[in-house]
Amino acid sequence: MSFQRYLVRRLLLTLPLLLGITVVAFLIANAVPADPINANLPPNQLNNETIVRAFREKWGLDKPPVEQYFVYLGNLLRGDMGRSIKSGEPVLADIAKYLPATIELSTVGIVLGMSLGIFFGVVSAVWRNSPVDYVVRFLSLIGVSFPIFLLALLGLTILHAELRLLPGPGRLGFTASEPPTVTGLFVVDSLLASDFDTLRDALRRLILPGFVLALYLSGIIARITRSSLLEVLGQDYMRTARAKGLNERNVILRHGLSNALIPVVTVIGLMYGNLLVGSVLIERIFAWPGIGQYMFRASTSQDFPAIMGVSMLIAFIYVVVNFVVDLLYYFIDPRIRLA
Amino acid sequence: MKQARQWFTGLLLLILALLLSAIGATAQDEQVVVIGHAESTDSLDPARGYTGTTAIVHRAIYETLVTFPDADASAIEPRLATSWTISEDGLVYTFTLNPAAVFSDGSPVEASDVVFSFNRLKNVQGNPSFLADPIASIEAPDAGTVVITLSAIRPSFLAELTNNAFSVSNAEVVQANGGTDAADAATADAAGAWLDANSAGSGPYILEEWDKTVRTVLVRNPNYYGEAPFFDRVIIANIPESAAQKIALESGEIDVALEITADQVGDMESNADISLFKSPGLAVHFIIMNQDESIGGPVSNPLVQRAIRLALDYSGYLDLWGGVTPGSNLAVGLLGAYSSLDGTAVTRDLDAARALLAEAGYPDGFEITLEYPDFTWQGVNMNTNAQKIQADLAEVGITVTLQPGELQVALERYRAGEAGFGYWFWGPDILDPLDLLAFLPGGKVATERAKWLTENASADLLDLINQASLATEATARVEIFGQLQRYMQENAPFAPFVQPDLTVATRASVAGYVWHPQWALDVALLSRAG
Repeated sequence: MSFQRYLVRRLLLTLPLLLGITVVAFLIANAVPADPINANLPPNQLNNETIVRAFREKWGLDKPPVEQYFVYLGNLLRGDMGRSIKSGEPVLADIAKYLPATIELSTVGIVLGMSLGIFFGVVSAVWRNSPVDYVVRFLSLIGVSFPIFLLALLGLTILHAELRLLPGPGRLGFTASEPPTVTGLFVVDSLLASDFDTLRDALRRLILPGFVLALYLSGIIARITRSSLLEVLGQDYMRTARAKGLNERNVILRHGLSNALIPVVTVIGLMYGNLLVGSVLIERIFAWPGIGQYMFRASTSQDFPAIMGVSMLIAFIYVVVNFVVDLLYYFIDPRIRLA
Repeated sequence: MKQARQWFTGLLLLILALLLSAIGATAQDEQVVVIGHAESTDSLDPARGYTGTTAIVHRAIYETLVTFPDADASAIEPRLATSWTISEDGLVYTFTLNPAAVFSDGSPVEASDVVFSFNRLKNVQGNPSFLADPIASIEAPDAGTVVITLSAIRPSFLAELTNNAFSVSNAEVVQANGGTDAADAATADAAGAWLDANSAGSGPYILEEWDKTVRTVLVRNPNYYGEAPFFDRVIIANIPESAAQKIALESGEIDVALEITADQVGDMESNADISLFKSPGLAVHFIIMNQDESIGGPVSNPLVQRAIRLALDYSGYLDLWGGVTPGSNLAVGLLGAYSSLDGTAVTRDLDAARALLAEAGYPDGFEITLEYPDFTWQGVNMNTNAQKIQADLAEVGITVTLQPGELQVALERYRAGEAGFGYWFWGPDILDPLDLLAFLPGGKVATERAKWLTENASADLLDLINQASLATEATARVEIFGQLQRYMQENAPFAPFVQPDLTVATRASVAGYVWHPQWALDVALLSRAG
């Protein structure tokens, strides 16, 4: 199959998926047996007919659900995701405001987690059943099973409050000003503004939450890398590579690891998608104004437009991540190209 | 390839150099205080925002006509108004403004600004707008006099005027930025966004920046006509988790942590760098029993209701959360409230409770389901209290099944009066004993949620309620509300059991912290110790 045809087919497949997501998200949001007026109007106004009616009219809640859905879909096709009840801003603007903080943190988390995970996975596979292997497997088990919020609080208590090695919660110090917004990523924006104090602060504040995410991820990645590499190491072509006289480092890294990484890439892609939408706990504990916290507020206040917007974002992120992973397969795995 | 590697090494070195470069401690003469707070508002417009966060911010940047003392709600004191009179019929309030008062742009605070602000509050139909409902008309006969006419007698009106919703804003500035007080302000007013980023008040601070969900920055108002506050700059940092607030306070990144929970207090008590302030908050936690027999079943019986009040282990809840035992649903701290502090609250008496149950026809108790939200409010976990209620009532033979619900779902059943036996909490909207009327026949909670209706109430009780809603003189009010509270201890479908402590922690270097039931924190009172 040609690359173009592969690309077009993948893109076309995502459309019904996204449409399906709007239906599911809308049904779930409407199935909750609670009225958004309770969450968004103060108790004293719930008896005020005029205010309640005005609220329902303003947010389209007075229309039957089916009509609400098609109005939403129509607006969505025109690129309008509606206005958040809670913030009063367009949902798209809210997402643009909160997503960069999450992207910045998730990227640091996934890069650190991937580096640690693959490194320890390889070490563990090469020296399988040695003390090193046992230690790595034990640590990765802890990484996987340790509650992430506890890890975050322990990290803050020990490394920040006690040892004063790293800064505390927040993307920047509370007395610092944000760099002028270009991308919303503080590391990039402060570099563009040549504001090196802010850059240093932003980088230092990424270390702790980034490592907390990374420790959790690296546990899983190390275990998958290990098992995948072990499987590859037993293959015939590995024996061939050794027989050709290649040195052991080349055999493992070039012939072993590059083949073993295919399943690892899939997992990393999904994990990155997970991080972009699922770091609610880490964002709350680190006072990180990202999409996770936005989602949390939207769901606790039954902010329908925001809930729908975030659901669409989640779906979109997974579609993109899966798409990128599929593209990577195309390059990594010759069988797809030949099929 | 080699070039790429060199370039990459260079980049790594640059990042390393940035990380390691000297800690940029730029000398600051400015006095700054950083407050950790779980931000709760979506608007800083006084006519729209109505939350714990707006109470703190508005206290700093706006002023009201009258106010409370620094630490409690025991008296009404002047603020923008130096004096006021109330007409004989209790309907017309005339305020004389302080001629020295000026807005942050230097222009004088005039009666027309008050008229504009209050009319705008009423017509914008924002969350706090209901507070302006009692006002029939408001006029400015001259620049220094405001005349407010009410539609009915309202003994709590001055207490309500202390609310930050009645902040007086600079009419000219707000109008210039899209504001209007006209009848169609709900749709025509466009000043909300401007007021989220700027302030137009006469308070000791002005709003410099509000980065929603990140931080609020206040700077000293250079034109403030009163005593200048100590701090040049106040930063209210949004830290939603109280555990993170505690850590940031311990490390010194923040000076004040506003939302500390009871279970975090332990190891901070021995920390010499930290001061703790505890005082009963305003939230009264109570059991509600439906008077409609088809919904409430056994707990609709007044004898059973009284037995349940006698069966609760009140001191046990104080051990859990600190605070006080309220004597009724009137929050302790408000005028005339009964409480465990002076021995006027109900105390546990298991024998009397069992006797009442037997009299009601339940000598062996009964089974019932307790509905409540799976929720933690101001550090008080409602599951913990529900389990204690279950254990307390088991001692008199009542078998309670716990049914925690998602907050919004449970709230809906509670508000519609569909739950037979529930556990909720209530914080007064206005710091006045009139708030208790919500829990008496004719009031919202009694009527809608407990089905305690006026047609089932005795003539004596209705007469007392009527007196309470009209009396304005303090001694008479204390007497009337005392009678109401004694009545409720005997006959009411409510069992209030605890009013938990609120804890705030500050660095020991911060002086002047005072908790207030209305605005929680007045940042203008803060300073550095020593």
